[in-house]
Amino acid sequence: MTTLTTTPDGTASRRPAPPSSRSSASRARGQGGTVLAVPALAWYLLFMVGPLLAIFVIAALHWPGMLQPVSFAGLDNARTVLDDPVFWDAVENTAIQLAVALPLMIVCAYMLGYYVAQRPPGHRVLRYLLFIPGLISTPAKAMVFYAALSPDGLVNGALESVGLGSLTDAWLASPSTALACLIALDVWGGIGFTAVLFAARLGSVPEELGEAAQLDGAGHWRTMWTVHFPVIREYVGVVTMLQFLWTLFGSAQHVLLLTQGGPGTSSTTLSFLVYQKAFIAADLGYSQTVGVFLFLVGLAGLLTIRRVFRQTY
Amino acid sequence: MKLGKRWLPAHILVWAYAVLLLVPLYYFLASAFKSNDDIFAHPFAPPSSLGLGNFRTAFDNGDLGLAVVNSALVTVFSLVLTLLLAIPASFALARTRGRLAGLIEKVFSLGFLIPTFAALFPTFLLAAATGLFHTRTFMVLFLPATALPLSVVILVQFMRTIPAEMEEAARLDGASTFAVLRHVYTPMCLPGIATVLLLNFLTFWNEYLYSLVIIGPDPAQRTVQVALPTLKSITGTDYGVLTAGTVLTLVPVWVVYTVLQKRMQQALVSGAVKM
Repeated sequence: MTTLTTTPDGTASRRPAPPSSRSSASRARGQGGTVLAVPALAWYLLFMVGPLLAIFVIAALHWPGMLQPVSFAGLDNARTVLDDPVFWDAVENTAIQLAVALPLMIVCAYMLGYYVAQRPPGHRVLRYLLFIPGLISTPAKAMVFYAALSPDGLVNGALESVGLGSLTDAWLASPSTALACLIALDVWGGIGFTAVLFAARLGSVPEELGEAAQLDGAGHWRTMWTVHFPVIREYVGVVTMLQFLWTLFGSAQHVLLLTQGGPGTSSTTLSFLVYQKAFIAADLGYSQTVGVFLFLVGLAGLLTIRRVFRQTY
Repeated sequence: MKLGKRWLPAHILVWAYAVLLLVPLYYFLASAFKSNDDIFAHPFAPPSSLGLGNFRTAFDNGDLGLAVVNSALVTVFSLVLTLLLAIPASFALARTRGRLAGLIEKVFSLGFLIPTFAALFPTFLLAAATGLFHTRTFMVLFLPATALPLSVVILVQFMRTIPAEMEEAARLDGASTFAVLRHVYTPMCLPGIATVLLLNFLTFWNEYLYSLVIIGPDPAQRTVQVALPTLKSITGTDYGVLTAGTVLTLVPVWVVYTVLQKRMQQALVSGAVKM
């Protein structure tokens, strides 16, 4: 295995080193190398991959609480989970959450990113503002929404001050709006952050492309979707994958902080169910079975998104 | 391209969204200086005085001062450990083209896609098994592992741009592998290191769920992100205190962002792109 990149003749001849020392240097380069990656790899395997594999083991155990005896359950947990109406509520809520939040976020963010990339007046200020949700921690974001949506919070206050007092609601505590609030939280922050990502990528698309399309009489709307979109299609796919994962797995924190899955199960998502069954209900086999399910959903989603956004030219 | 008159709706929509981002933040900043009565009666009015009473209450009730120190400790030590692990690894992976190195690199670039949340409970078990449950130490050991894939991928890309001649020249002067890493590679990829530091500073400072489960609610150990939501229950509906506490946790991030805006945006963008 040769590790040296081919050096231009000029540099090679300038150096007085004989060929033998060069090859020994290249060997040293190869050996001294990989060992240094071992600590990082070991660390990663211990703290990330190990626990991840443990999910699959725990999913096959009957384990009714931290200090309870553990026994092998095989597929019993899977059967319990599949028979549990709460699980199917969570599946439904997660499906709604993904089906609403993801397309809304990606489409709006793409258009917003295109807008910012055209450098309209004030685009610098915009870029600064759009990034803000990306900086705020989940608890802080949740507190913003908590204060805004609580019965005497910002939204109700605003509704009352414009004479729409009849529309006020206890947004987070009402079965019909709790899930919608969580989706709104995802979308509120997600659009801005994603838009900056798209704007950065669109900025590297050659300007001639758009100009040529304009000369042919295409408006911005057509240029945006038929000229620029195909160019960054794969990138849109990557960002969609990331948002998909963040929404699928990240919802546990929002639910925990804002609604605790309620009222009833109206805002219980799959990832919150994993958390709740592990740390509140102490049904560990159940929790990790849902974890395995979640993992598989994540994997299937990634492969699907990759297929949909595969470069077509 | 020129933006014509037909862009008016677009301008309006975009700025409406910008306002939607700003209003809650304004509401927060204003409420931090108000009493509950004020907040309910005039949610949008600017505060009448800039008294720091709410901030003081938040500090006392939520032990926020201690929590900020804890967060800072966890963040700084995790960052140091991340660099200590990621720099040698990237150095190794960037210079070697062996099959093993390729495999390790693959592990890291795929690991980027594993959501940290997935293994929450087994990690909790690991913390219990190592006797580090309810300590900040475990978080300091654990957080770098979550950050390694992205950090390694970014650093490897930076290190690949360093020409091999640099190392050969150092070798001819008798430098050891370690010296090459320390005196050639590390100084030359400082921008990459800065990117990694900024990205991970954000993630570590903002980390919530693992800190909640592993460090737990003990005020002596908990981080600021865990302490923050407790203000909600302790004070009932004292929104002034809640918002003051939230504003406090945002200050470090906000200062860093405003000072290093360009670099931070690049870091976040590259963090989401490089895979």
